[in-house]
Amino acid sequence: MLSHMREHKSSSDRFVIKFTIAAIMLICVMAVSCCLGSSDITLSDVIKYFTGRGDELAKTTLTIIGRIRVPRTLTAMLIGGALASVGCVMQGVFRNPMADPSVLGISSGAALGAAIAIVTGLNGVIFFEAFTGAYIGAVLGAIVTWLLVFTIAAQNGRYDTSSTLLAGIAISSIMSALITVLMTLHLEQMERVYMWMLGTFSASTTDKTKLLAVVVGLMMPILIWIAPRIDVLKLGKEAAMTLGVDQTKTLAIALAVSSCLLAFSVANAGIIGFVGLIIPHIVSFFGVTRMRSRLVLSFMTGAIFMVVCDTVCKTIVAPGELAIGAVTSLIGAPYFLFLLMSSRIRSGRERSSV
Amino acid sequence: MNLEALNINVRFGDTHVLKDVSHTFKEGKITIILGPNGCGKTTLIKSVVKMFAKKCGMSYIPQEIYGNIGLTVSDLVALGRYNEKKFFNSENEEDLKKIDEALELMELKDKKDQLYDTLSGGEKQRCMAARAICQDAEWFIMDEPASNLDIVHSKFILDTARDLVKNQGKSFIIVMHDLNAASTYGDEFVLMKDGRITDVCDRLSPDKLADVFETKFGSVKTPSGKDVFYAD
Repeated sequence: MLSHMREHKSSSDRFVIKFTIAAIMLICVMAVSCCLGSSDITLSDVIKYFTGRGDELAKTTLTIIGRIRVPRTLTAMLIGGALASVGCVMQGVFRNPMADPSVLGISSGAALGAAIAIVTGLNGVIFFEAFTGAYIGAVLGAIVTWLLVFTIAAQNGRYDTSSTLLAGIAISSIMSALITVLMTLHLEQMERVYMWMLGTFSASTTDKTKLLAVVVGLMMPILIWIAPRIDVLKLGKEAAMTLGVDQTKTLAIALAVSSCLLAFSVANAGIIGFVGLIIPHIVSFFGVTRMRSRLVLSFMTGAIFMVVCDTVCKTIVAPGELAIGAVTSLIGAPYFLFLLMSSRIRSGRERSSV
Repeated sequence: MNLEALNINVRFGDTHVLKDVSHTFKEGKITIILGPNGCGKTTLIKSVVKMFAKKCGMSYIPQEIYGNIGLTVSDLVALGRYNEKKFFNSENEEDLKKIDEALELMELKDKKDQLYDTLSGGEKQRCMAARAICQDAEWFIMDEPASNLDIVHSKFILDTARDLVKNQGKSFIIVMHDLNAASTYGDEFVLMKDGRITDVCDRLSPDKLADVFETKFGSVKTPSGKDVFYAD
C-alpha cells in the first residue's frame, strides 16, 4: 500500500514542479517583454515600477511602462493562455490531436461576428469602457461556428479526424471569404476589420486588458472544473453516464466557455493561429496526460509562448511591427504539417504524439 | 435489484431498431445476449444503461472507444474511480488500491504508464475491463468484451466474471458471438432477431440457435459433458 502512495505522491509532486518552473519562466519573459520595444527601458526601471518605487522614474518612462508595456504584455499572456487552453479542450473533446480553434475555423467565425458588429454600427460601448458590441458578435460567431463544425463532423457520435479537419477547413475559408466581402463593402472600415486577419497586440489598452483579465479569470476556473469530465467522455456516452457524467451537458459547458474565451481573444487581438494546436503537444511532450493538469500547464505554456512571440514582433523590425499571427503561424504551421505527415498521428501508435 | 426493462422502442431515422422489447435482467446472474449482426443487441444494452445508470451502480464496456485518447493505461483505469462530488480528483488510498488491483488482475501493471492509443486491440479490451472492475459497480454491462482477445485471455475475462458473480454477487449482461463460451458461462440467454427478443432460456440448443441465426446448427458432447455447437 505504501508503494501506491509513493507513486501517487511523486506524480502530483511533478505537477507542482512543472507548474512552478512554468510560473517562474512566465514572470521572467514578461519582465523582459516589458523592457523591450521601440524605446529603451531597463530591467531595473521595470522592477522599480512593480516594487512601488515608480516615483523615482521619469514621467515618460512611467507612462510607457504603465500605459503601453504592461497592458500589452498582460494581454499577450492572457490571450496566449486562453488560446492554448481552448486548443487543449478542443483536442480532448474531438479526440483529435490536430484540433485547434484556427484550424477548425472557429477563430474566423468569431472574427466574422465581430466584423459584422463593427460594420453594422452595433459596436457601441455597452459598459466598462471597453465592452463593446464587437465582443458579443465574436461570442455569437464562435458559438455558431463550433455548432456547425460539431454537426457536420459528427458521424454516429464519433468525430473522425479527417472529416472534422475537412469540415473545419471548409468552414474556415467560408468565414474568411465573408470577412473579405464585408471589408470590400465597407471600405471605410477596412483597416479595423483587416486587423483580425493578421492579429496584433499593439492596440492593447488598460481597459481592454482589465476586461480580458476578468473574462479569463471567470472562464478558466470553469474549464478547470469540468476538465476531468472531458477525460471521462473519452470512454463514450454510455460509460460516462454510468460515472455520472452527462455528455450533452458537459459538451455544452465546454463549448460555451471556450467560445467565450476564444471570442474575447479574437476581438482583442485578431486571429492568432496554431497556438492552440502546438502548446498542448508541447505539454504532452513533458508527460502530462490528464486533462486538468494539461489544461493548467497549457495555459502557462501558451502564455509564455505568446509573450515571447509578441516580444519578437515588436523588436525584430523596430520601430515597425510584425503581425503576431504571422509569427505564430510561421512557427505553428510547419509543426502542423509535420504532424499531418507523420504517420504516428494517423495510427496514433507512437508515445510522443499524444 | 433486478433490472426491469419494459417496452423499449428505439428508432434511428426510419429504421425501427428495437420493437417494443421487454426483459427483466436478473440480479446475480450472467445474462448473455445472442443474435445475428445488426439485430439490436448493442442498442438494447445501451438503452438499459440509459434507463438504469442513475438508479443503480453500473459499469459499461463499449465495443470500442473512438479517436485519440491520449491517456495512459493507469489514467484510463483511474477514470473508473471518477467521482463528480470530489473537486480534486486525485485518488485517495482506497482508489489507488482498487486501481492497482485491477491493473494487476488484467496483467497490465508493466504497461501502466504507456499511452492507451499505443496498446494492441486485446490490451485495450483488458484495459477497459480493468476500468470497469475498479469502478466496483453492481452491474457490468459488456459489449463484446472478448472480441479481440485470444482464447486464453477471453476465458480469463469470463472466469473473472463468474468469480465476481459467485463471490461478490455482481451481475453481468454480456453481448457476445462465441456461442460455446456463451453456453459455458451464461446463466440465462436472451436470443434476439430483427429488433425483437425471440426467446429467453437457461440452456442453448441447436434448434433455438437455428431459429435465431437462420442456419442449421448441430452439437456434440465433449468428454466433460459440455455441449459444443457448430453451424452446419
